[in-house]
Amino acid sequence: MSSAQGANPEYVNARIRARRAKLFDDEDYRKLVRMGPSEISRYMEESEYEAEMNALGSRHSGVDLIEYSLNRNLAENFEDILDWAGGGLYEQIASYLRKFDAWNVKTVLRGVYSGASRDEVASDLIRAGEFDDRFLERLLDAQSIEGVVELLDGTIFERGMEAAFPEYEETDVLVPLENAADRAFYENLIAELGDYEPDSALALYAGFLKAEIDFRNARNALRLARSGADLDPAEYYIAGGDLFSEGQLSSLVSSTSELVSVIRDSEYGDELGQALAELEDADSLIGFERALDAALQEYADHLSHVHPLSVTPVLSYIIAKEREVNNIRAIARGREAGLSEDEIEKELVTI
Amino acid sequence: MAKDVKPTRKNLMAIEDRIELSERGHDTLEQKRDGLIMEFMDILDKAQDVRGGMEEDYQTAQKKINMARAMEGDVTVRGAAAALKEHPEITTESNNIMGVVVPQIESSKVKKSLDERGYGVLGTSARIDEAAEAYEDLLESIILAAEVETAMKKMLKEIETTKRRVNALEFKLLPELYNNQEYIEQKLEEQEREEIFRLKKIKDKKEAEEKAEEEAAREAEAEAAETVDAD
Repeated sequence: MSSAQGANPEYVNARIRARRAKLFDDEDYRKLVRMGPSEISRYMEESEYEAEMNALGSRHSGVDLIEYSLNRNLAENFEDILDWAGGGLYEQIASYLRKFDAWNVKTVLRGVYSGASRDEVASDLIRAGEFDDRFLERLLDAQSIEGVVELLDGTIFERGMEAAFPEYEETDVLVPLENAADRAFYENLIAELGDYEPDSALALYAGFLKAEIDFRNARNALRLARSGADLDPAEYYIAGGDLFSEGQLSSLVSSTSELVSVIRDSEYGDELGQALAELEDADSLIGFERALDAALQEYADHLSHVHPLSVTPVLSYIIAKEREVNNIRAIARGREAGLSEDEIEKELVTI
Repeated sequence: MAKDVKPTRKNLMAIEDRIELSERGHDTLEQKRDGLIMEFMDILDKAQDVRGGMEEDYQTAQKKINMARAMEGDVTVRGAAAALKEHPEITTESNNIMGVVVPQIESSKVKKSLDERGYGVLGTSARIDEAAEAYEDLLESIILAAEVETAMKKMLKEIETTKRRVNALEFKLLPELYNNQEYIEQKLEEQEREEIFRLKKIKDKKEAEEKAEEEAAREAEAEAAETVDAD
């Protein structure tokens, strides 16, 4: 469908519920964790991933086949959702799925920058965003970074890319362009919301998006604080969240403990309390990032029950599906690398 | 060997000079060898520490990259790696340890800050940072290990060479020179003895001749006296 038709949350949510029921549950993960990579492939061939495993089996093998099949299945699932949705619902879902457009833009930029072959770059794209195949093919054909930036004219990335391009030319490092792609996605997400009634479904959806931006800002601020490098925090700030203002973030980056106490005193303090306590003792941010992912998933699940006839159940499914893909990949890669069952189980994000 | 030497006093003096020089060289080389061994032991301790550290860094880096590949996906990790074109730079200078030239490796741009690694910060995670950081640490350890282990190998080679030289002096050159010296001395003594013997013989011969002459003269005189008496 498209935005030209009316919103149809009842239909979409019914389809989504069916899809959600097919997601791997804890029992599946428990089985997978005890399997080797080839057994995982076999298990996937008998699941929802059968078509992708068979389609990609001639091009990839081993854990690479699992990872590429997961990515393609993810893209096809999200494409289906866009096909079902119409009207404002389509717009909201498409807007959220533009994160894959940002991913694809970054992948193409990295491919051109490193001189990777067209096929290599093409296989790393996740075709789940708004960019259609024809546009992605044009991006893949671009011969230079400037060419990619020019092709992005007329998309949500245009302004950010054009602003970041001079800095890229000066430094010959992709950081400004990659940051511009991610920032454009998040800022556009908030900008497209428009006005909404308090306590409406849209308000809850906005709350979820703000939480995602807050979590992204929090993890990036902690990474900057931990890195100890003299970086301008403003360059790594995403506007649109409630937790930090740009100025606040700049002053907090110099002290991890102050940053942690601000997060603890915020509305997310209850969900993240334990992870924050662990963060103060550990020298790694990974546990905290895992807690953020779990909290976001929990938040999305909660919203889907509050307003079942809105975009929130779709959003909750999108996050759950991404989590499933991440978990299966983590198990397969973890088993390939010889990680123990306990180590892998600790890394999985399950609700 | 000793048979090829002419047993002359001049050769003996030349051999004695060579023996003196070789003994001095032997002592110096022995001191050098001992000094090198002491330096080598210090470097060996350092090399063992560095290698231990490097192995530890390797295990950590492997674990971090495996975790990053598992949790973020191979595509993400590969993408983040592709975003960096700048390579670390290495310059080598030389350092002199007891005459052995060993390299001194200086590295730059190995450790990078978050904004120098090429990938965007907004769309990546701490797992990528930690994997990158662990590999930067590993690279630094490898560079240090390369410096220490190259120094160790060069020292070892020099110790071997010095040891061979000491052994060649001690077990080949000096024994040969001593043999030659002994041979010449023996030959010269023998020649001296022969000369004395020859002189003795000449003297005896001369004495015998003189005696015979005297005898003949005495006989002639006796004969002459008999003839006179008979007349």
